[in-house]
Amino acid sequence: MKKNMILLLAGVSLFALLSGGCANKEVVKGEESVVPTQSQPLKQAVAQPAAAPVQQSHPTSQPAVVAAQPAQQQSTPVITGKTSFETVYFDFDKADLRQDARSALSKNSEAIKALAGAKVQIEGHCDERGSAEYNLALGERRAKSALQYLTTTGVKGDQLSIISYGKEKPAVQGNDESAWAKNRRAEFVVVK
Amino acid sequence: MRFFLFLAIILAFPAVSGAESRFVEVTAPGNRQLKMAVAPPRAVDTAPDVRISRQISDVLVFDVTLSGIAVAENRELQPLAAGTVMADSDFIAWQTGGIDLLVRSGYTVNGDQLTIEFRLFDVASRKMVTAKRYLGTSKDLRRFAHSFADEILRAFTGEKGCFTTRIAYVTTKTGNKEIWIMDWDGNNPLPLTRNGSINLNPDFSPDGREILFTSYKRGNPDLYKRALSSPVEIPLSRRSGLNITGNWSPDGTKIALALSKDGDAEIYTIARDGSKPVRLTINPALDLYPSWSPDGKQIAFLSDRLGKPQIFVMASDGGGVRRLTTSGAYNVNPRWSPKGDKIAYARMQGGSFQIFVISPDGGGDTQLTSEGSNENPAWSPDGRFITFSSKRSSGDGIYVMRCDGTAQIRVAQGKGSFFQPIWSPR
Repeated sequence: MKKNMILLLAGVSLFALLSGGCANKEVVKGEESVVPTQSQPLKQAVAQPAAAPVQQSHPTSQPAVVAAQPAQQQSTPVITGKTSFETVYFDFDKADLRQDARSALSKNSEAIKALAGAKVQIEGHCDERGSAEYNLALGERRAKSALQYLTTTGVKGDQLSIISYGKEKPAVQGNDESAWAKNRRAEFVVVK
Repeated sequence: MRFFLFLAIILAFPAVSGAESRFVEVTAPGNRQLKMAVAPPRAVDTAPDVRISRQISDVLVFDVTLSGIAVAENRELQPLAAGTVMADSDFIAWQTGGIDLLVRSGYTVNGDQLTIEFRLFDVASRKMVTAKRYLGTSKDLRRFAHSFADEILRAFTGEKGCFTTRIAYVTTKTGNKEIWIMDWDGNNPLPLTRNGSINLNPDFSPDGREILFTSYKRGNPDLYKRALSSPVEIPLSRRSGLNITGNWSPDGTKIALALSKDGDAEIYTIARDGSKPVRLTINPALDLYPSWSPDGKQIAFLSDRLGKPQIFVMASDGGGVRRLTTSGAYNVNPRWSPKGDKIAYARMQGGSFQIFVISPDGGGDTQLTSEGSNENPAWSPDGRFITFSSKRSSGDGIYVMRCDGTAQIRVAQGKGSFFQPIWSPR
């Protein structure tokens, strides 16, 4: 073995000499490659596009009820969805509540109070303008603004939570003011 | 074994390797741009393979040309003797052909084993500037060529290039916003996340082994990290509200990020395991997108405390806050350069974003892009390039440009949209 090494060393040196003067010869090894992730099923429900508020003349009348529950849970159906709530809209780069936002929130307030014990999450959203990161913070500010208004109308704080999706979940596609106006919004979702 | 090979080479050239080379001054007459020829790589003791030969020369031409140190081209001026040795007379045709620098290379394939040897010659002085030999497998082909491009930059600038690095980015090509990684030139794209949720703002650890990102995979925008070598996504910060825009400190011990557990987005630092939150900003405004200075002493960030988003700088303990950008109504996405001399950011003007750089003292505010809309600038580890996402009529995707705004080139494109590129360390 040792003899082999010496022979090899000599051979390699000879080769290197014959191949001419070289500065900075270097041996580089391959590096490990990225192991792709296992695919993981998505548990989180994807939000549906917001229903237009004009279609919701009776916000408290029909909370969406998920029927596909096991029989033993029939007495306490899980309420989900957002069809009974009005979407609240905002001005560009603003989280202030406009007059139409306040009236929509008042209706939502009654709807939430009618769902005693239910928890409602307020989703803040932005239009596609602005940076994605700033919009995450702005969307949260919008959701918080709606939450604060609801608490002043008597909704219990522990019934409400907020989340921001920034501009990640637009209600409608499009890059004009009519699309943007529909995307600058707070949506209301009953969560378990 | 490899140790012996390496040792043998050092022993064979004690004089050369002892006199560690300073970088070489090569200037073209009349201040014209240097021209580099990449001679067709030769098969050595092996059957010629056009695909191998083509990839080697294409990588070298792309890397060197984009670096701006020389304009490179694939070129065969005259048939050269086999091997990579140059006789004095071999230089004449290249010199009269206006070539300043010549790269010759030879490759050997033995099963899956690949050996490539490169030599860089200065044509005018008829001297070899540097040479390297790489041993590996066939999948290392492009990386070996990139690595020699790194060496060419080292030889001419004194600092190694960044051509063996990678870029992580967000793309919707699978329908969801997932994080992918690719070679810096767009080759070898691989998915890092496949959780079907919304994944945002990747950032590399300083050692390049781990990546931070925000994911909605458990409902809330939480901060995760994962090793590049393992698919396990480890939650780092799952505090109530936003856990976004994580940025690893240069020494790797901390992560700066924006948390909104106090009601609105504030900058915090946390330890690398997510513990020990330290609040740096206390402000009713939105504070986010922290970016450490390379010495770890300062943090640039985005705040709308004066009404609209602007870039601010503070000490890394939260003291000494000052406004950095004073032009433009909406400035976001600060990223401190690895040399510390510039901060890149994006400004919204006329409904689109453009990339700017500014000195940390607020001087030298310079616009780098003007076509389409360009966001999320991030520096290459040598500070030579900036990557960014772009939407422009000539094509959306991830782009790379020199840090002076020249040589803008698309490196990732295709189905879906591309966002938030970040460059790996070397």
